[in-house]
Amino acid sequence: MGALGFIWKNITRNRRRTVLTILSIALSLFLLSTLMTVLTELGRESPDGDQHLRLVVRRASSLGDPLPESYLEKLKRVPGVRMVHALSWFGGLYVDERNFFANFGCDPETLFPMFNENRVPPEQLAAFKKERTAAVAGRKLAERFKWRLGDKITLLGTIYPVDLEFTLRGIYTGLDETAFFFHHAYLDEALGRPGKVGTFWLKAASAAEVPVIAERVDAMFKNSDAETKTETERAFQLGFVAMLGNIKTLISSISSVVVFTILLVTANTMAMSIRERAREIAILKTLGFTRRRLLGLLVAESAGIALAGGLLGTLGARLFYSLVDVWKHTQGFFPIFVVEPETIAIGLLLSVLIGVTSAALPAYRVSRQTIAHALRRTG
Amino acid sequence: MAVPLAYNIRNLRVRVFSTVMTVFSVGLVVAVFIGVMALARGLEEAFVATGDPLNVVVLRQGSQVETSSSVRRDALQVIRYLPGVATDAAGVPLVSPEVIVLLNLPKRADGQGANVLVRGLRATGFELRPQVRLIQGRMARLGLREVIVGRSIAERFQNAGLGERLRFGRSHWTVVGIFEAGRTAFGSEIWADATELADDFDRADYSAVLLRAESPLALRTITQRIDSDQRLHLKAQAEPEYYAEQTKTAGPIKILGSFMAVLMAIGASFAVMNTMYASVARRSREIGVLRVLGFQPASILLSFLGESVLLALLGGLVGCLLALPIHGLTTGTMNFRTFSDISFAFRITPTLLLNGLGFSLAMGALGGFLPARLASRQPMVETLREG
Repeated sequence: MGALGFIWKNITRNRRRTVLTILSIALSLFLLSTLMTVLTELGRESPDGDQHLRLVVRRASSLGDPLPESYLEKLKRVPGVRMVHALSWFGGLYVDERNFFANFGCDPETLFPMFNENRVPPEQLAAFKKERTAAVAGRKLAERFKWRLGDKITLLGTIYPVDLEFTLRGIYTGLDETAFFFHHAYLDEALGRPGKVGTFWLKAASAAEVPVIAERVDAMFKNSDAETKTETERAFQLGFVAMLGNIKTLISSISSVVVFTILLVTANTMAMSIRERAREIAILKTLGFTRRRLLGLLVAESAGIALAGGLLGTLGARLFYSLVDVWKHTQGFFPIFVVEPETIAIGLLLSVLIGVTSAALPAYRVSRQTIAHALRRTG
Repeated sequence: MAVPLAYNIRNLRVRVFSTVMTVFSVGLVVAVFIGVMALARGLEEAFVATGDPLNVVVLRQGSQVETSSSVRRDALQVIRYLPGVATDAAGVPLVSPEVIVLLNLPKRADGQGANVLVRGLRATGFELRPQVRLIQGRMARLGLREVIVGRSIAERFQNAGLGERLRFGRSHWTVVGIFEAGRTAFGSEIWADATELADDFDRADYSAVLLRAESPLALRTITQRIDSDQRLHLKAQAEPEYYAEQTKTAGPIKILGSFMAVLMAIGASFAVMNTMYASVARRSREIGVLRVLGFQPASILLSFLGESVLLALLGGLVGCLLALPIHGLTTGTMNFRTFSDISFAFRITPTLLLNGLGFSLAMGALGGFLPARLASRQPMVETLREG
């Protein structure tokens, strides 16, 4: 019987214990994968598209205050800027609060060139551009409310004192398929043309220009009535995450408690299992097994159990979150929730480490016991 | 006849390593549960404690929060003279028109921006909120660019300390006083003179109106009058109700907390199960002896189940002790309704601790039942013959 066969025999000798330990570790790893994914998703970068080239211009005083529409032309003339897009958060409600999703007034001409990770069929795009009350929705959003092209959709204004009715003319696909876009001009008209825009999105000609553009824009409007704050899209998004408070600390402290709990559970199991085997181990010693070899066998057994739990937990999490619509259940908080391979790798590495650590002490102790002492001891 | 509890306690002591490991596994789970729930509880209380039952918040119809509301100046005149509105000693109606602005200010800790709610009001606004007390400095003077700030704002935001100057709107505003507002949401605000603030942000209208009703009955009449007046296009709501709506911010934290707690608890009850199975396996001979002495299988089942629950309850106690230090720790998050920053303290209440203990009890019962049943069903004679 080889070493692997020996380890396997030991793992399966008390099946109930092994299964319970594996399940316990799997549950913890599932939770750990969830927590790590929360952190990943809060700072997710889109892999394609021009995210690294995009900047957001907003009112310096507060996001709640809009910017004058007239800034559009001025921004177009800033050196290094390839494209400018006006985008206003409407904050409209669809029927009631539980149906929350992001909805924006935009310029239909520049929406898709600006957010080029999103795609829409050309005939739908043409229909969207043509009609003032037209709107486009993400694929996931449309599926959620079973919308079809041509449907009438009314959004109730919470920030603005107007309710708007739209006709769905396009469904786009992309990374985040949960937003809703309509003509900003329609909103402006309904409000009596105040000529205000929530944010301007810029696209730089090259990545090198990005930091310079931010400085140029903010300098241009310095000491005006509406000073601006310009930052990269990523910084803009991370700003929102920062406002949630110290999420990172909260999640990392919970995660470390989870890891420590798995360590306790596994260490307890291994200690129990090794203690019961003290006599057997003594016999192996009389048969000529070296201390180092015994230690290796026990540690490998523990690592194997922990790894099995880790695999079950991390892969289970990946499967679970691919089947469950997290976007819907978190009321729009996480448009995307994917357990990435990196997260799985970290989880597996951690479980092996935990397995090794938890076997180390009891295994060391038992391997040092004198044969006579161990043989004398009863159960 | 029941097996004496002393038997179980001795057993837990004999297998001290196993006991300690299991107690801490359960304890950590309980600590996480209490910690997350204390966070949600603290956040909820920050809103629940806010608001006087006779105060009425008036907002634009369709807007849910002060930050996105607006009330026209002519509407204010109508509201001011509604019957049932309380007056002060001088006969002036207790009606406070307020201007609310959201500001993005950098935090002291990391320089990251967070939205802070700035409230522009007059003396009546203070009268309507008696929980607000000045603890340092003096009141802001009318007509000057002066502000007073909630204590958590002074502590957590740059340039918001006493004597410092905040730059927003069109000017610099000197912080002349710091106030405390109990555990209410006002503690996370900056207060300025209504006219000055409206000037700086070009606000022609007020954001919201707060008023005091003479009696609960008057409150009902006033809200009905305002809601039904088509010209006003406004919505009135009792102040505690308005803030209670905002406790929904704590909802996701509670869901996350319960989700985590349940997952971890199942994991921990597996750990309890392992320990108890090992314990039963090693004591099969003892169990046989107990049976010979005349203890019924049911007593043995109860005894082992009791031991498991005891083990888990010890864990629960450890968990409570581990969680206690976070009580009173203050932190901040974004209020999802107003998008403004709200600071609050973790609150561990006796009920929460009891919940934690109840939770550990459930883990003990869940983890102990199967091993206890196994113990009670062992055939007497064979167990005695073994080993």
